[in-house]
Amino acid sequence: MRKINRRRTHGTEEDAARSGDDKTVISHINQGELDLYRRRAMYSSAVLIFFFATLAARLWYLQILQGDQYAKLAQNNRVRTVDIAAPRGNILDRKGREIVTNKPSFNVVWVREKNRIDEELIKKVAAILAVDPSDLLARIRKMAGTPGHIPIRLAENIEWDKVAYIENNRMDMPGIKIEVVPQRVYHYGNLASHMIGYLAEISKEDLTDAETDSYRPGDMTGKMGLERLREKDLRGEKGREYMEVNSLGFEQRNLKGLEPLPGSDIQLTLDVDLQQAAEKIMMDENKSGAVVAVEVNTGRLLLVASSPVLDLSKFLGGISSKNWKEMLDNPHHPLINKTVQGQYPPASTYKIVTALAGLAEGIITPDSTVYCPGSYRFGNRSYRCWKYKGGHGTVNLKRALSESCDVYFYHLGQRLGVNRLANYASHLGLGKKTGVEIEHEKSGLIPTSEWKLKRYGKPWQDGETLSVAIGQGFNLVTPLQLAMMTAAVANGGRLYKPSIIETVRDPDGHIVERFQATELDHFTGQERALNLLKEGLIEAVNGRRGTSTKARLNSITVAGKTGTAQVVRIKQYKHLKEENIPYKYRDHAWFTCFAPAENPEIAVTVLVEHGLHGGSAAAPIAKAVLEKYFADRLPKPEDAGALPVVPVGGD
Amino acid sequence: MLRFDRRVLNNFDWVTVLTLSLITIMSLANLFSATWNGGPSPSPLFFKQLYFFLFGYALILFILSVDYSELEMLSYVGYVAVCFLLIYTKLFVKVVAGSQRWIDLGFIKLQPSEPAKLFLVLVLASCYARFEAKEDGYGLLDLLRPAALTVVPFLLIVIQPDLGTALMLAFMFVSMTLFSRLRWPALTSLSITGLITVVLGWKYGLKPYQRRRIETFLNPESDPMNHGYQIKQSKIAVGSGEFFGKGFMEGTQGHLNFLPERHTDFAFAVWCEELGFVGSMFFLLCFFFLLLWGMNIALSARDKFGVYLAFGIVMLIFWQGLINLFMIMGMLPVVGIPLPFFSYGGSSLLTNLIAIGILMNIRMRRFQKR
Repeated sequence: MRKINRRRTHGTEEDAARSGDDKTVISHINQGELDLYRRRAMYSSAVLIFFFATLAARLWYLQILQGDQYAKLAQNNRVRTVDIAAPRGNILDRKGREIVTNKPSFNVVWVREKNRIDEELIKKVAAILAVDPSDLLARIRKMAGTPGHIPIRLAENIEWDKVAYIENNRMDMPGIKIEVVPQRVYHYGNLASHMIGYLAEISKEDLTDAETDSYRPGDMTGKMGLERLREKDLRGEKGREYMEVNSLGFEQRNLKGLEPLPGSDIQLTLDVDLQQAAEKIMMDENKSGAVVAVEVNTGRLLLVASSPVLDLSKFLGGISSKNWKEMLDNPHHPLINKTVQGQYPPASTYKIVTALAGLAEGIITPDSTVYCPGSYRFGNRSYRCWKYKGGHGTVNLKRALSESCDVYFYHLGQRLGVNRLANYASHLGLGKKTGVEIEHEKSGLIPTSEWKLKRYGKPWQDGETLSVAIGQGFNLVTPLQLAMMTAAVANGGRLYKPSIIETVRDPDGHIVERFQATELDHFTGQERALNLLKEGLIEAVNGRRGTSTKARLNSITVAGKTGTAQVVRIKQYKHLKEENIPYKYRDHAWFTCFAPAENPEIAVTVLVEHGLHGGSAAAPIAKAVLEKYFADRLPKPEDAGALPVVPVGGD
Repeated sequence: MLRFDRRVLNNFDWVTVLTLSLITIMSLANLFSATWNGGPSPSPLFFKQLYFFLFGYALILFILSVDYSELEMLSYVGYVAVCFLLIYTKLFVKVVAGSQRWIDLGFIKLQPSEPAKLFLVLVLASCYARFEAKEDGYGLLDLLRPAALTVVPFLLIVIQPDLGTALMLAFMFVSMTLFSRLRWPALTSLSITGLITVVLGWKYGLKPYQRRRIETFLNPESDPMNHGYQIKQSKIAVGSGEFFGKGFMEGTQGHLNFLPERHTDFAFAVWCEELGFVGSMFFLLCFFFLLLWGMNIALSARDKFGVYLAFGIVMLIFWQGLINLFMIMGMLPVVGIPLPFFSYGGSSLLTNLIAIGILMNIRMRRFQKR
């Protein structure tokens, strides 16, 4: 009863407090309460003083009574923890061939005690290593800001006899140690170097980032490509060694430590043979550009080559500013990964999109014809066909594709309009990033009238649709996008997400990640249109007047389309012979194809920067890749080892 | 912005300011040494803590400008906000080193469990101050409300998991409850519940690593490289300081990396090693003087809210300090409780500085009638 009463009064007080006139509720302290608090505070202070005394007594015990003993322990206490680098995961190709692995590298390190530099010791080491002592001192000075227990590296990758000498004479050189560190080995040189990337010592900025607390100065970390993107998979976990050492720095005994956990192996979808073939032919012919090959029914990338390749040796131990500038100024742009970073007008390869849109929208049938007199008059301008002397005459879809008649597609583009065209391009994956695991991917550009209004504040001009219909004008695509589009045309309309990783396998051999085909878009109900398109593309390679005959194979049907992308429209070069046009103003050459046409397996896209003509510059490269891919199925050539030599220029 | 009544200013609490300044200087000097990595300039951590100190002092000034009774309503808002932050941390923050404690705000990694301690003190003080007990004291039922207020953040911190900080909340509740007038039956049943909780918690509630820490403490040889190792190294650091210490920046335990967490939980061990018994005692004197002075502030407060608040703040700083010091001197297992004002960490430092600000506030307004 009493309790209930009390709670009720208590409740009303609370209500009063909530309603705002609470100032009266917290009463000032009356004498009785003050006495109570005094008592409580006295007890509490007594507790405080008791604990103070306890702590003081403990300090006295530890520092005065046991001080000597602890001082001795501290003196002998030299359990040093040493990190053991974990071997980084290997990178393999689709057939399990090793592209990047590790080998042990022997480094000489110096473990500092108290930050004092022993000049005699350094001189001794310099003599063994046959270097100038000032070099070693410079290295030590560079590491001045790092915590003392981290060894300073004096020399990397030394020869075996020096390792043996130092190990045998370690008693004379306290603090000098041999450290075994895994080092990257590139079995195929600079193969796919843009995509695979390289390692470098972790930067000071990265070190201060709290997220990377397992890293120490001097650790290697992925700086580019997969090495960077997949750092977490590849790096593994460091081991730790507990070393008991005496006050002079000699190791006394090795306490139980922690084994390093190697990184996961990454198997790529890449085929080393194809990659090598493409890179070699591009390099031999001094071409810059991109070659991409993809499995049409899965989206696995078999080959992603950007030429010229990146010379990884220039990045080892930090790139010099001279090398860097050289690469930046190089007209062939070696720093750019042209497969995903290079954006080019698709030129005539885009006629695939225009044709598909025309068929799908019912604007043309295979029998619709257009008369090509060599140019097309629109408004007060004349739009030329590439064959403006004489023209193509009457062309249907098949001829228009195989002979790449511009006039046919001007007509078609005119009737489609820019936005309908853009819709099909977008379903084929153009104008947006594919999401491939390669750095710095660009999205390209497929213009719409809305886009132009937003970007330039001007309405779309019908004349511009004509340029767009043949892949010029505002259109920009990356070679990878074009390869994925070609694959989608080949496989019946399924746009896959391109992938370069087949599996990620942890050190126990368990697969932690496995390739899975991902469909980004599916073009249904257009089998007939796609088949008609395919016929045109087959004709382009195999027909008598086709533009892409240089990609023809003996027993396997290739279907493809060339493209010649205008870089600039400058009158003064119009009448020059092609080889006299300055390199940077020459047209880009495209070729994109798939094979076997009846039952497609592989799509190949080639871009040669400033290569002039798709048919002559790009198609032979695609042919070389296809020959390599179908090597077992083609009749044996006389000389199996050599790649076919293809003449440059001319049509 | 800051407006002070002249009478309030006349009562400015110089004693606290002076003691706090001494502690600040010791703390920064120690952090300078503990984080120094051989380079030409102090570590970025040192500057970060320095800025936190400066910011904290500015906060104190701000707190002094409002009457502390204004804080009462605000404290409930803060309490609820902190509880939500704790829930947010559990739900959305990724696990770091096995627990979810920090919210990254860019310039600071906020650890909501730190302000949670202070807000608990505030709401408990308000609770007890408004509570009219009969002459014979509170019964068990009267404690339901303060207990509920404690249990919510307690559980939220337990699941992070951060047992040490959660226990701090329990300590705050127990100390502040004991400070009020409690009936004997309530007291006994409370103690019995507490004991049962501890026993059950040990058996079922602890994570394996937490139990191992305690076991390691009881038998350090069982695990020489890990937690036993940490305590052992800490004891060696403290003990080897002897009477005068090894000298500022000369500690081998700290600088040769034997001492774990040497700028956070074990920061005081660096101080003991380098400045010896003399330096350690000086710090202890300052620290406990501040606490006793705080107790004095509680007694001179003008109203019950002030009394409970001041007492709660003293207890907040006392328990954190005691547990940390016991751990450093090898009298408790490793628990992640920082030493107030001394261990590196923004959330903890700001919370404790704000607490001191409130304490000074109570002192300054002791004569003011409302």
